[in-house]
Amino acid sequence: MPHGVSRCLRRADMSRVAATRVAALVFPDWPAVALQRELASRGERHDVVAVLRAQRVAACSALARVAGVRTGMRRREAQAACADLIVVADNPERDRLVFEPVVRAVSEMVPLVEVGDPGTVVLPTRGPSRYVGGDTALAERLRALVAATGDEPPLHYGVGIADGRLMAMVAAMSAVDKPGVVVSVGHSAELLARQAVAVLALHAGVSIEMISLLQRLGVYTLGDLVAIEEKLLAARFGSLGVEVHRLARGLDRHPPIVVAPPPNHATEQHFEHPVEDLHRVVACGREMAVELCAHLVAHAVSCVSLHISLQGDHGEHSERVWYESDGLGAEAIAERVRWQMEAWVRSRTLTSGVVVIRLVPVELRASSGRQLGLWDPFGEQAEMAVKAAQRLASLLGPEAVRVAEWRGGRDPAEAFARTSVALVDLAHRAATAVTPDRRFVGALPSPTPAYVHHQPVDVQVLDTDGRVIVVSGRHEMSGTPKYIVMGGNELDIMSWSGPWPVEERWWDPQRHRRAVRMQVIVGESPSMALVLTLEQGRWRATARYA
Amino acid sequence: MRLTGTLSGSLAEPATAVERPALAVFESLAAVLPDGLVRGRSVLCSGDAAVSLALAVVACASRSGSWLAVFGLGDLGLLAAHEQGIALERTVLVTPPASASASSAGTWFAALGAAVEGFELLLVEVSSRIPAGEARKLQQRVLARRAVLVLVDVDSRHARQPVFQPDVLLHTVTARWCGIGDGHGHVREREVMVEMSGRRVPATQHAARCVTLPAPR
Repeated sequence: MPHGVSRCLRRADMSRVAATRVAALVFPDWPAVALQRELASRGERHDVVAVLRAQRVAACSALARVAGVRTGMRRREAQAACADLIVVADNPERDRLVFEPVVRAVSEMVPLVEVGDPGTVVLPTRGPSRYVGGDTALAERLRALVAATGDEPPLHYGVGIADGRLMAMVAAMSAVDKPGVVVSVGHSAELLARQAVAVLALHAGVSIEMISLLQRLGVYTLGDLVAIEEKLLAARFGSLGVEVHRLARGLDRHPPIVVAPPPNHATEQHFEHPVEDLHRVVACGREMAVELCAHLVAHAVSCVSLHISLQGDHGEHSERVWYESDGLGAEAIAERVRWQMEAWVRSRTLTSGVVVIRLVPVELRASSGRQLGLWDPFGEQAEMAVKAAQRLASLLGPEAVRVAEWRGGRDPAEAFARTSVALVDLAHRAATAVTPDRRFVGALPSPTPAYVHHQPVDVQVLDTDGRVIVVSGRHEMSGTPKYIVMGGNELDIMSWSGPWPVEERWWDPQRHRRAVRMQVIVGESPSMALVLTLEQGRWRATARYA
Repeated sequence: MRLTGTLSGSLAEPATAVERPALAVFESLAAVLPDGLVRGRSVLCSGDAAVSLALAVVACASRSGSWLAVFGLGDLGLLAAHEQGIALERTVLVTPPASASASSAGTWFAALGAAVEGFELLLVEVSSRIPAGEARKLQQRVLARRAVLVLVDVDSRHARQPVFQPDVLLHTVTARWCGIGDGHGHVREREVMVEMSGRRVPATQHAARCVTLPAPR
């Protein structure tokens, strides 16, 4: 950060000590609730569910918590605590889609709600409070709005109103399933000082390592943290130190900037003919986002919250403010345009094509070192590839363009998941190699077949007398495999190896899998190497060394 | 950070008139691709080891910083690709549109065209749906953008009218499987006879060469 700017920022701090008064609506463990709601929509009811992120429990339902499941547990630990636990992988798309009705309900009263992660809604109270007659009335109204969105399964949520985002969230968290908590004006800092430093991890995305370090240094509450001079924290932790100090004082993470926002530039697009194709709207939004970001980067600022406004030909419109504490990049903005468009189409209020897209940065801050410019500096090649991938996704749909992500397991077809590019940051992920983190016991020996049949082919494996080979519980074969019948053709087995047992999820009666694998070379010029799998009494060719 | 290192090397050269060097291949493939992957050209792999050979052909360039787009090959073993040395973090997998209509073939070609703009390496599954005219246009585009097109003919047992006119055609026949016996061992590698042809291969080089797959790095 240049010297002049940082001086400006400090002056801005002095002039603006009071934080904005906001209301927060918090749904604890939203990913688990989203999962339950999704299951309920399919007619299934599950009370004990958990959502895994990076092989650890990220969220679980209230009943699962009662049974002893905790966030951060490994899958097996969680299942040990609660035997009939339903464990599902994290899906941000699901969280967002299921959250949509809630956002819609709230935005009926307050048109410009701020949407960050699914599970939290933040809105400035100034206008709405005056409209409904005070903060307490607003909290009640918010609860009523959410309650009207349905109760299958029942929603657990809290409303908090305070000065600054963090205190509002803490208040909302303490008010789950209770009437909303309103912290009177000017008391937020005092209350916040009594909170443990762990709330920073819970509500402000500060890393667990940082919290643990603070605790080991003897800083237990936010009050302790505020007592330390900001410059000392800055000297010890750099910009992160300044951030946590600001948060602890009840301010927003980043100081508001006083430099005049750069003049708006190419943030509005009018269409002469209404555009009905969602992909085209998103593609256009992306182009605007790229220009906007290039403009902001040139002025050394990044956009923390952005107002996206879409207008239809019949006068209908969709307005939303998107917040991201680390700054919204071009790709992130394009994503938000897509989300908003999808939500709008889903709400059935859009009756014509889109005629106007407008992107208005609401909150800007000086770029820190973390904001890596337009597409991250991984070179020209990466930039071009990322652009081409985006073009592909808009041509063929985001589901048709995928990247590999390590998942693990013994089945070569499942070792890497194919994730849609819409869900990953391509340029960023190119910095670290995608590799298996370990070799699973019972996995196929290397080299792995180059062709894995996602729809395996039925085969018969026969011995010299034409009897089908069976494998006993002790993995002994009933005879020597001599030939196979595949697609009506008889092929002689030249060499073979196995049987190799595969046993997966033996602790789970429903998803338990037991199979036997064998490698065979069949036919002669051309010869073929296959992996045959015997599962539930059926031999199938599951992979081929193509 | 290996990536930035190699990139800064290639960026240091003037991007204009001077032709950038060919993309590297593993030393073990020098017998079949003596000049490496020359930019603007296309290589077709066919036969019973087509997929493995194609992976080996692109792996070295992918490792050293090129981005790879895979079109089709829905059953590609990603673990095998990783083992052969392909950098999956710089690989994008594209699924063709499901229906066989003319419009979807058009979209498919628009997509291939878009990919040529951004990816240095294209690994494309050859299907009978591709009209010859479009194939020629794609090859011209590859030539203009100085990309490398590696085509894979997965099902080449029955001969079909060639759609593409590859510069190098590598037809594989597996000669020997090593490491597996009668009820013991497992496949460790295979010896593949590769017949070379195509318009850029002089007739004197048409004799078959022996290549080991997976190619040693």
